[in-house]
Amino acid sequence: MKDSLVLLGRVPAHPDSRCWFLAWNPAGTLLASCGGDRSVRIWGTEGDSWICKSVLSEGHQRTVRKVAWSPCGNYLASASFDATTCIWKKNQDDFECVTTLEGHENEVKSVAWAPSGNLLATCSRDKSVWVWEVDEEDEYECVSVLNSHTQDVKHVVWHPSQELLASASYDDTVKLYREEEDDWVCCATLEGHESTVWSLAFDPSGQRLASCSDDRTVRIWRQYPPDNEQGVACSGSDPSWKCICTLSGFHSRTIYDVAWCQLTGALATACGDDAIRVFEEDPSSDPQQPTFSLTAHLPQAHSQDVNCVAWNPKEQGLLASCSDDGEVAFWKYQRPEGI
Amino acid sequence: MAGSQDMFDAIVMADERFHGEGYQEGYEEGNSLGIIEGRQYGTLHGAKIGSEIGCYQGFAFAWRCLLHSCTTEKDSKKMKALESLIGMIEKFPYDDPTYDKLHEDLDKIRGKFKQLCSLLNVQPDFKISAEGSGLSF
Repeated sequence: MKDSLVLLGRVPAHPDSRCWFLAWNPAGTLLASCGGDRSVRIWGTEGDSWICKSVLSEGHQRTVRKVAWSPCGNYLASASFDATTCIWKKNQDDFECVTTLEGHENEVKSVAWAPSGNLLATCSRDKSVWVWEVDEEDEYECVSVLNSHTQDVKHVVWHPSQELLASASYDDTVKLYREEEDDWVCCATLEGHESTVWSLAFDPSGQRLASCSDDRTVRIWRQYPPDNEQGVACSGSDPSWKCICTLSGFHSRTIYDVAWCQLTGALATACGDDAIRVFEEDPSSDPQQPTFSLTAHLPQAHSQDVNCVAWNPKEQGLLASCSDDGEVAFWKYQRPEGI
Repeated sequence: MAGSQDMFDAIVMADERFHGEGYQEGYEEGNSLGIIEGRQYGTLHGAKIGSEIGCYQGFAFAWRCLLHSCTTEKDSKKMKALESLIGMIEKFPYDDPTYDKLHEDLDKIRGKFKQLCSLLNVQPDFKISAEGSGLSF
């Protein structure tokens, strides 16, 4: 496990503040960061170092909690505690705020674009998840307001290929939503975590979902469609989700983020104990009951809580992380020999 | 012989007997007082919900009239949401407090109302008070 995670560099992305979240653009050339200083910063490489290419500072009145790139890479959405979500359009190195989505009653906690690029989801401390549709003229329209959670909703993420939405909440559950007759409905509730679920990540195939929690575990859930071979019961035409693996005993504090590498299948976690960990699935394990091994553990990756980890979508092994200490760090991960 | 035994019984067991009778009387009185209190609470709570839904319904009817003549595609989406809200409100079982999906359906109505406000670009400021509800935009 030694040297499997090597530091490439650090940048003081949001000085005197927290850096809350990171997002790589689909091409893997730019990294967006956002923080408690109410700004969004865009980072790119210049030779061997990372430099700040743009600062988007006039969009929000309060902390920016999450950022997300559209699948085409031309738009960036920013979710803020000021209860709004800004949509920024990229014009070379400049970003212009083209729309501000309002409606949530209080802090917006997360935003995510569907793989089609036509749908956007936001969630908030007001316990609701909103689904928005965007047309060719960049007009956004709310298509559904989902009140399924009973507490603050922390994160939303879309399935990599289906129009399936997942949300994580302070109510300890994960909920899944799909479209049914022009409206969106909650089609599954995943129970099992014993505390707030902070983040979610689908695996590259979309068959499995990873969730991380304040209960210091990561859970892997698998989708079983009706008439599946394993004989898992389903109600109606909706697939059932079962927890097929729980990673416990590895983290000593709340796990704030989990990221599933779309290139290699490696799972990275961001923890409140200031460490970054990477897990890989044992190739010989049963797909219905997989086992994961810890392949990297870097204590003190940051000097405070690690809030986010993000795998670069094009460059294998390139991982970015950010922390309450306001810094963004870049890492090179190499799967250790003999695993 | 049997008669004198019963008489002593009555005296010896008097304490327990009065305790039992007292309990029974108290239980019945508590029961009826509880029903009265429960009914008052239920009336208040039911009125709150009725008032909230009534507001949504009035809002939806008013907008349906306003948009009646419009025919753009955007307006058809608004009409669809309007009709959906009106439909949900009409289908709601107002006389069955034991309806198992009561809260679920109420949340769906609230969600549809919020979506509709977003589409109409209207910001409702909804306050329900004991004196009657106020709805300001």
